[in-house]
Amino acid sequence: MQPTSSMNEQFLKKWQMGLQIFRPSIDNTSVSERKRAIKLSADVAMASLRKGTTCWSRALIQKAATEDSFLVRQMLAGIKEETLINRKLPKIVCHRKIVRRSKKILMRRKSRSAMEEVTAKAKKLVKRKTKGLRNVVPGGEFMSNNVLLIQETLDYIVSLQTQVNVMRSIVDAAEAGVER
Amino acid sequence: MDLSGRFGARSGNGVPFREVTGLESLHLGGGDEFRQMVLPENGGGFTALLELPPTRAVELLHSSSSSSSQATLHSVGTLTFPSNPILMERAARFSVIATEQNPNGNISGETTTSSVPSNEHIKTEPAETETSDQAAVEKQNNRCGKRKDFDKKVKSSTKKKSKSSEENEKLPYVHVRARRGQATDSHSLAERARREKINARMKLLQELVPGCDKIHPKRDRFWWKDEDQSVLWGPSNCKLSLEESFDLQIQGTALVLDEIINHVQSLQRQVEMLSMRLASVNPRIDFNLDTILASENGSLMDGSFNGTTMQLAWPHQVMETEQSYHHRQLQQPPPQQWPFDGLNQPVWGREENQDHGNDHNSLMVGSASLHPNQVKMEL
Repeated sequence: MQPTSSMNEQFLKKWQMGLQIFRPSIDNTSVSERKRAIKLSADVAMASLRKGTTCWSRALIQKAATEDSFLVRQMLAGIKEETLINRKLPKIVCHRKIVRRSKKILMRRKSRSAMEEVTAKAKKLVKRKTKGLRNVVPGGEFMSNNVLLIQETLDYIVSLQTQVNVMRSIVDAAEAGVER
Repeated sequence: MDLSGRFGARSGNGVPFREVTGLESLHLGGGDEFRQMVLPENGGGFTALLELPPTRAVELLHSSSSSSSQATLHSVGTLTFPSNPILMERAARFSVIATEQNPNGNISGETTTSSVPSNEHIKTEPAETETSDQAAVEKQNNRCGKRKDFDKKVKSSTKKKSKSSEENEKLPYVHVRARRGQATDSHSLAERARREKINARMKLLQELVPGCDKIHPKRDRFWWKDEDQSVLWGPSNCKLSLEESFDLQIQGTALVLDEIINHVQSLQRQVEMLSMRLASVNPRIDFNLDTILASENGSLMDGSFNGTTMQLAWPHQVMETEQSYHHRQLQQPPPQQWPFDGLNQPVWGREENQDHGNDHNSLMVGSASLHPNQVKMEL
């Protein structure tokens, strides 16, 4: 599924709403500050399109709230922002040493056959990749199963695509204007 | 009897199969449908779970080989690929006895060739199971899953198998008898259902991520870690040795995951770069430009220019960038352009740029000016 024009427009609206919050203070800020403001408002706009239905959007909003909760509150006015902001992220604590030790013991006990070794390697490879994917997708660590992970990734990719498209068009327009 | 007559007719089996594919295509149609699918699935997990597997189960059973089956019932610990359909055959043979037990309950779900009742029946069974306890859940799943598998197997295996399929044809569902040997099988059924879900989504992702389609022509299965047993899926038509199929699937899954990760990372990096570029542009432009475009977009989406003129002092360059952006926005939804034809009053009413605005509006109709060059460059 590709991003639709209505999604583009919604994102643009929200993003501008967020940028307006920064407007009074634009003159005395550095490039990096502006960049941070732009990116933050773009991320919150992207996440707010989903209105808290998807896991990644919630995680993204919470991350943004740790940086600038005022902005998030303003942008999400009316979409249960309090619950989204204040909810603590579920922490999955995993003592890696213990897990590794128990795995070693299990591996020793298992009988080795060629097939099982291949299976084990395959499992490890896929597991490593899914872990990588979890690191990339916001809130990926808290998705309990692979199905959810893939679903969220799908939605996240589409939203990222809209964000990139809209931002690119604005940037191109702005830069073309500056050149003249 | 009803049963043989029903299963003898191909169309009777074709219909449930087609419905399921219809459902599947509905579910996997796109983002919105996808999202709608997300929510009900989280609520009633098994209903959707069991809707998806049958189509895959066809291919699964299609490629099954008939090996000795007696041992497989008991070798639950090392379930490998060919054993499951064999198990089902065994269960089928066993269940001849059990058919008399409840002939009416499930048959009623099967008799109608119309789509809705059978699907409802399939749905209500898992819906009930969710409320019951674990053992019952697994039994029900067994029954539903196996019954569906049987339906599909009947259709697919009539070409290949003779006797066993006919026995299966007479049986609408698997029964309690075989459940002891399938204790793990029900588990792996659920696992398989889950994996099918994942595979369906991975396929969607493949279409979304560029470059995934060419990764492997033969691979049409994904391989995911299982909690207990790893059941290997074979590709639908080609017979591969076990190692080959392993390799293909591992490669497939890992490569696709790799592609997805790369794609996501590249998108994120692009966002960073774009925000940096926008920040390094004149700040007055980037923040104020957006407000202009917001109001412009508002009027665009309404499909009508309200006559309000915004009296703002704008530098000349900003004007042109807006126009080019305006073009781009318009080009996205072409039908909306036509209401703007007769309107001469631009949204941004700036005296110096009135002409540009008029040109701009007429551009929608298609006349040439210096702006299209700019637009083409940016597009």
